[in-house]
Amino acid sequence: MRLILSVIVALLIAVSPAWAQDTARTKTFGAESFTLQNGMRVVVIPNRRVPVVTHMVWYGVGAADEPPGLSGIAHFVEHLMFKGTETVPPGEFSKRVRALGGNDNAFTAQDITAYFQSIAVEHLETVMRMEADRMTGLIFPSDQVDSERLVVLEERRMRTDNDPAGYFSEQIRTALFPNHPYGNPVIGWLHEMESLDRDNVMAFYKKWYAPNNAILVVSGDVTAAQLKPLAEKIYGVIPARDVPERKWTQVPPLLGEPRLVMRHAVIRQPTLQRLYRVPSAKDNKPDSLALEVLASIVGDGAAARFYKALVVDGKMATGARFVYESSALSDSTLSLSATPAQGVTLEVLEAAIDDELRKLVKDGVTPQEMAEAKTRLMDASIFARDSLQGPAMTFGYGLMTGSTIDDIEYWPYDIEAVTAEQVNDAARRFLDPDNTGTRPHVTGYMLPKEEKSE
Amino acid sequence: MRPLTKDLRLFLFLSLFLYFFAGWVPCISKTCLASDRLLDIQEVESPGGVKAWLVEDHTLPIVAAAFSFKGAGSDLEPADRQGLARLVSNMLDEGAGPYDSQSFQKILNDNSISLGFSSGRDDFGGSLHTLTKNKALAFTLLHLALSEPRFDAEPLERMRAANLTRIRAAQSDPEWMAARLLNDVAFAGHPYALNSGGTLTTLQKITAEDLRAFASTTLARDNLRVSVAGDITAKELGTVLDAVFGDLPEKADVPPVADLTVQNAGQTVLYKQDIPQAVIETMQPGLGRTDPDYYTGMVMNFILGGSGFGSRLTEEVREKRGLAYGINSSFYDMDHFKGLSISTSTKNESVGDVLDLVRAELKKMRDAPVTAEELASAKSYLIGAFPLELSSTGRIAGLLLDLQLDDLPVTYLDERAEKINKVTAAGVQALAQRLLTPDSLTTVIVGQPEGITPTKIVETLPNVD
Repeated sequence: MRLILSVIVALLIAVSPAWAQDTARTKTFGAESFTLQNGMRVVVIPNRRVPVVTHMVWYGVGAADEPPGLSGIAHFVEHLMFKGTETVPPGEFSKRVRALGGNDNAFTAQDITAYFQSIAVEHLETVMRMEADRMTGLIFPSDQVDSERLVVLEERRMRTDNDPAGYFSEQIRTALFPNHPYGNPVIGWLHEMESLDRDNVMAFYKKWYAPNNAILVVSGDVTAAQLKPLAEKIYGVIPARDVPERKWTQVPPLLGEPRLVMRHAVIRQPTLQRLYRVPSAKDNKPDSLALEVLASIVGDGAAARFYKALVVDGKMATGARFVYESSALSDSTLSLSATPAQGVTLEVLEAAIDDELRKLVKDGVTPQEMAEAKTRLMDASIFARDSLQGPAMTFGYGLMTGSTIDDIEYWPYDIEAVTAEQVNDAARRFLDPDNTGTRPHVTGYMLPKEEKSE
Repeated sequence: MRPLTKDLRLFLFLSLFLYFFAGWVPCISKTCLASDRLLDIQEVESPGGVKAWLVEDHTLPIVAAAFSFKGAGSDLEPADRQGLARLVSNMLDEGAGPYDSQSFQKILNDNSISLGFSSGRDDFGGSLHTLTKNKALAFTLLHLALSEPRFDAEPLERMRAANLTRIRAAQSDPEWMAARLLNDVAFAGHPYALNSGGTLTTLQKITAEDLRAFASTTLARDNLRVSVAGDITAKELGTVLDAVFGDLPEKADVPPVADLTVQNAGQTVLYKQDIPQAVIETMQPGLGRTDPDYYTGMVMNFILGGSGFGSRLTEEVREKRGLAYGINSSFYDMDHFKGLSISTSTKNESVGDVLDLVRAELKKMRDAPVTAEELASAKSYLIGAFPLELSSTGRIAGLLLDLQLDDLPVTYLDERAEKINKVTAAGVQALAQRLLTPDSLTTVIVGQPEGITPTKIVETLPNVD
């Protein structure tokens, strides 16, 4: 009887690993969350190592929400958030944070705009008040708009206009996303940036900046119980507003394979880049998990497939990268790049890359590759806790691009559950050079002026 | 959803920050600061006599080590071997002991161990970052890399080619060009003026024997500095130190290098490029951590241009006039050179105006004391923001190593806040008068600047090809 019982128990455990895992799963970060009365979500990631916090407000608006002809406006608003409210004069925001011993910054991406400070926990309430104040209180003084427009133009020059490699990166992304807002650079096109003015900037800000279109993320020496009353009285009192639905145009089915060739006198290093439009975690979570494992197998490290085949064994390239970004509100991007070895043209290099991809599609990945990739990815989640700002960035970005708190907390388990069949299927559907379907990749060649690629 | 891995770093790279990573860069420079109450630093000495600083923290199962060999810098390279130390740093993790390059890289990767080396002008260093569960293996691999590097032909050719690619790719980048030119001009005649990343020519001449000779003679017990943070006890660390570093030679053969002061003062050297925005770098005398006025200098630099928003340079050049996205001042605290550099970039038409503003701010710092408010804000930040440096195991190890490289006592951090508080406006002004030379800056510009007259135009960037 005992033997039968133990066999039954053993079988139950063997056939229902999910059950066993559910009760045994531990969260990566231990975040807590709640929602304020006005709809603003709040996430707290306690970390008591040092008495400091990172305080972040993420808005559900980014470059992809820009009206046609006004590219760069979301990023421009980000700059102008530092340029004055009734209570905080232009330029004072960061100075006050510094004077309290804090660092601050902000950033704009296609899907989001975020503002953050890292500071001693005793000053958390102060930065919360300042952040809440500028959520709806910007006054956009004309002289500030004018001088800051000059600043973003300098920024564009620095990032893009001063180096043809910057133009190349910009244009290949545009080629990947026809009829889609991701095809416009976050910094904006130069001629459109010049037409940003006080009226259109204020309209954009008023349209999108509201507490119900924002998430508050705080990591560090604080708990949800401590933060909640502060959040309620500081952010919770800001009235919710109607915010437009985010409707973006999509890339249509395409049959042709876009190619980009850029030759420039100052380029000395030929470079090949290829971008794929692939599902994001929001589009298709299982696909995106499979792609994360696939990208690790193919691209993570010198012993990974891509580098090993092209650089070490094949001697076709001096460098090779293969990277997948999983988080996006719309399509994600998988990026491949390589620099050719001496005597190898970009055409030959591209053919070698396609051959490697064909091998991958035909033969699939090995169990060893799967196990190794999963180990690496799951280990990364432990390292991710060793940071003040990192977890706040992870939660902010994840939640703003359609992931849930559980998606983030239990990600290592989701990775562990990915099967080789899922990975092979993803490779077949997205990376087969001979079957791009109606979602072709874009390949770009960046070359010196002369017709040689040495 | 991935935690903070490559994926998120890529996202950060694709996002546009308000200020160019000003608040984000880990404190790895010479102006690193610390708080007494927040760091319990143990001085560990192994049974075999290897020393290390340790901050034990068992919160996370992570261990980070940062180490350096003082004086084993690229400044030791002759002109026909530029890039030697760089190649050594590329090669030490490309095969050691029984592991060839691919095996070594694979075992690191499979066990999520980050092991890397880096070479600077003064020192040669490295770092190790591992989960506790893999620490034994991590230490073993580090030991192999240091004591039995293979310098095999295949990875050497690969690293060589990767460096040539790096240089060629950089040749379209005006900021890289300006840095190259600044080193050449400000350090003229000194090994610091050479290209520590190598040239397209010299990198092709370096042999495995060259690498082996550099590694075996300059990386030794007597110039080693080690800092460790995380999930390891002092007792265990003692054993590890002997296992990892015990086989190194006893003494380093590190020839002395001369000191130098800023060269080409008053010169404006131009490298013309057909770009819309000119990159500007300036250099003038500065000071380092061992100078008695170090904290006064820290406060002065913060107010002048080291703090981003709120600094005078950012205020005048970016905030009021929109002439730059980034402008900053920073100390060059090198073993044989102490300088203060101001760098920025602006559209070609505004170069003259920006340089006028830079000179005006330097004069103002000399001519009048900083205000009480500026002084108080600077102190408040420099003291108050320090705990932010302690937010990761790796950063703590790096912070400690910086202090050790200047041979500072382990109690150094305990006095920091007090010393910052003692800085006076009069002291800052006196230091400004001692150091700042607005009328004889060494200036390099890349672009097509207007409003200035170069004293020299270079046709080719030195030590690139």
